[in-house]
Amino acid sequence: MMIKPLILYVLAMLSAPFFSAVILKVKAFFGGKKGPPLLINYYTLIKLFKKGAVYSTSTTLIFKLGPMVSLCAALTVLLFLPMGGYPSVLSFNGDVIFIFYLLGLGRFFTIAAAMDTASPFEGMGAAREAYFPIICEATMFMILVLLYKLTQDLQLNAYFSGAQPAGLWSIAGSPMFFVLIALFIILLTENSRVPVDDPATHLELTMIHEVMVLDHSGPDLAFIELGSFYKLFFYSSLVARLVFPFKPGHFMLNIGQFTLVLFMVYVAVGVIESVMARYRMDKVPKFVLTSFVLAFFATIITLEFIR
Amino acid sequence: MNLFFLSILIIVSGGVLSLCLLTRFTQMKMVAVGLIGSGCVIGLVDSLYKLFHPVSYMASFNYLNAFAISFETDGLSAFFLVPIFFVSLLAAIYSFHYMNNPGESLKTAVNYLFFGVLIASMAMVVTASNIITFLLSWELMSLSSFFLVIHNHGSPANRRAGYLYFVFSHVGAMFIFAAFGVMYSYTGSFDLITAATLPESLKITVFVLTFIGFGSKAGIFPLHVWLPHAHPAAPSHISAVMSGVMIKTGIYGILRMYMLLDLNTPLLGEIVVTAGMISGILGVVYALAQHDIKRLLAYSSVENIGIILIGMGIGMIGVSSGNEFMAVMGFAGALLHVMNHSIFKSLLFMGAGMVIHKTGTQAIDAMGGVLKKMKVTGFCFLIGSLAISGLPPFNGFVGEFFIYMGGFKGVGLDKTAFVLSHLAIISLAVIGGLAMACFTKVFGVVFQGEARSTYKHTLEEKEPAMLTSMIILAALCVVIGIFPGIFFHMALKGVSALGLGLGDVPMEPFLTMTGNITSSAFLFLCIFILIFALRTRLFKGKILAKAGTWGCGFTQPTPRMQYTGSSYGASIIDFFKPVAPLKENHPPVSGVFPKTTHYHSQIEDIAEVHMGNVIIRPVLWLFDKLRFIQHGDIHLYIGYILLTIIVLLFFV
Repeated sequence: MMIKPLILYVLAMLSAPFFSAVILKVKAFFGGKKGPPLLINYYTLIKLFKKGAVYSTSTTLIFKLGPMVSLCAALTVLLFLPMGGYPSVLSFNGDVIFIFYLLGLGRFFTIAAAMDTASPFEGMGAAREAYFPIICEATMFMILVLLYKLTQDLQLNAYFSGAQPAGLWSIAGSPMFFVLIALFIILLTENSRVPVDDPATHLELTMIHEVMVLDHSGPDLAFIELGSFYKLFFYSSLVARLVFPFKPGHFMLNIGQFTLVLFMVYVAVGVIESVMARYRMDKVPKFVLTSFVLAFFATIITLEFIR
Repeated sequence: MNLFFLSILIIVSGGVLSLCLLTRFTQMKMVAVGLIGSGCVIGLVDSLYKLFHPVSYMASFNYLNAFAISFETDGLSAFFLVPIFFVSLLAAIYSFHYMNNPGESLKTAVNYLFFGVLIASMAMVVTASNIITFLLSWELMSLSSFFLVIHNHGSPANRRAGYLYFVFSHVGAMFIFAAFGVMYSYTGSFDLITAATLPESLKITVFVLTFIGFGSKAGIFPLHVWLPHAHPAAPSHISAVMSGVMIKTGIYGILRMYMLLDLNTPLLGEIVVTAGMISGILGVVYALAQHDIKRLLAYSSVENIGIILIGMGIGMIGVSSGNEFMAVMGFAGALLHVMNHSIFKSLLFMGAGMVIHKTGTQAIDAMGGVLKKMKVTGFCFLIGSLAISGLPPFNGFVGEFFIYMGGFKGVGLDKTAFVLSHLAIISLAVIGGLAMACFTKVFGVVFQGEARSTYKHTLEEKEPAMLTSMIILAALCVVIGIFPGIFFHMALKGVSALGLGLGDVPMEPFLTMTGNITSSAFLFLCIFILIFALRTRLFKGKILAKAGTWGCGFTQPTPRMQYTGSSYGASIIDFFKPVAPLKENHPPVSGVFPKTTHYHSQIEDIAEVHMGNVIIRPVLWLFDKLRFIQHGDIHLYIGYILLTIIVLLFFV
């Protein structure tokens, strides 16, 4: 029983960089360009792993700890992620709280590493990184309250594996639709995608995540990149599972359909990135608050109409 | 009970003896710290024993046959005694090197005297079993801490802070007196235990009165106004004790009254949870807006009291709706957070004290780069920051985890219970996020980056006593975070003593929960070690270059260009504008040759502003009109006394 989740975990670890490249490809397609190869992220990682590193004279040990802790948090969180309808490698009652606080730990260290450089731009990015996820966290816990109300359970497995979330869709379809959109907005915010942050922008003043890692280089930067691939993979898997909540039966078939849906989620992120511009910084909180409102409505609907 | 009194005797004698050794500064400190410390160790051992052997320990003395001074230690008292003795012990050790000015021998001796009295009175507050003993200890605690706050009475700001604290603690005490007065007039007995016989409606009145009274000590919004003034004024080890444990006596008072009144109405839980959510969110928002590191920590105490209240409220809702799991989770989470907060908040105050000692400033935006020179302090402060942000695998997470578990259980309930549990969960999530923003700000601006001004002393760590205290506290933050089992067991003993009709709550059902936290923390550490090994492997034999920070094309960066703490928090504060209005003082630049100008910004505390407008001004106006009573003529004063006696004799 344990072997399938473990296989999936290893597959996820290996394939997350590939999926992120899909976004780049989609963007290139919209721009009428050929775009980088789909394996670009692997090449970049290998290149970075081979390199040495340059450290700013302002930095301390925290600067080196940052990438390690954020990667570690992302890898630990993946262990709790149910994929393709199969249960996660690990789970316990209340693991959702642990997961989102662990991602918070990763964020704490990313911010601390940015503040370590004494750079005004990185400080600015850090301030934004500290701000927007607060609203995301509120939304996430709102969604958790709703899911708890529906399942009486506090584990990701109970919401996303086995007969779920198909069961949830059938008993509470309309709230789940809101949850899906809210979760997608959280995905965009937490992973610094357009319209919250533009990973491809060239002006440091307008960046959030990218500006925070300006001074990292070599293997440290590779760790950060890898961590962000895993984080995006985590949220995308949740969204993918919500979009296509069924489990065909055969293991290979299962993985196949899950990969396909996951692929579509990344394509959607890419499409949004291609057709939209980043919001002005002061508009971003309003955008993120939309997810909170949606989750709030979902809870009200559940409370009033679904028993 | 004998060990308990012995420890109190030793602690107080340490304070008194320090006065006798005025001329020998170092010996005085050694005697005071030695006696206070050993008293605390005895008290700590004794209270740990009592916590795990829950019988009621009683002692009573008759004073002049007028009333009895009596004490009783049950699980709840023992639970609160543990942090009181533990934090005081470390604060005493810390003070050995903190109080290092031989020129202020008298002030130091007085400080130790009141410090001893404060510890003893806190221990007496949580063990008092009748009204007289309780109020006596309570007043002793308020007064001794008042004298500790005005330790540096040379500065007018400190005297004002002391005055404010004095007013607040006595207005608070007045409410407690009123509540006990109501109780006494009905029962005619000084024993606290008789509170259970009150009729339902009186019970609610008594609870609300004590909630206000104890709330002003605990720092519940909007009664927290004294906290951000008193903490920056007091010496750091005193701030650590006041914020770490003294304000918890307010929490103890609320819990004790809840237990004694034995009220089963949902109203109490509703009041407590609501107060908790308001204190929690506003506390951390104001904390984020502060420019003074100790003020920031003081506001953060308001936030943590909020979290504790949310836990207690969830527990109370659990009790009133008959949900045992929720009740135990809520109360145990709250008690665990009481202990955790006493650990990391005293750690943070001690760290802040160390930094202030060296840099000579309390302004966050004037600091920077402290970590490079003060590694031990820096990393201890980092652990404290992580813990207070509630992140795993540190102790702050553990308490919040159990409160969450209780809250989610409440989501399964109906109507008001559902709404409040729901709001409590969202508030906890928001508080967690804001606390992280707040403490990344402190750590990032104070300890990281480059120095923003020249410091008073060279940054170095040569005070083993101060470092030892911080290291012990930081280690404990990690230990509780990874092995919460035994500490959760202690909290359960406290919950058992609350008498929720559950008897002695067994540990077994919760072993898996604490075990899960332990194993996932271990898992995290294992993965971390793997990554660390990978990193070491990757960097093997490579050349690591040093260069300046990338200035985005700018080649002449200065430390003044760094992002400041004020800008760091600005956009979040802006989101909370209605409750945290920004007050700017900025004369406009004018003329052909503009003169130098300045800019001053401050986030106003709405509680302070409105309390000034609504309560203090009318009261001052009224008293101004009543001034004619105070005319200075002794004959008329004697007349007043006579009149009062006559009125009392004939009409009451």
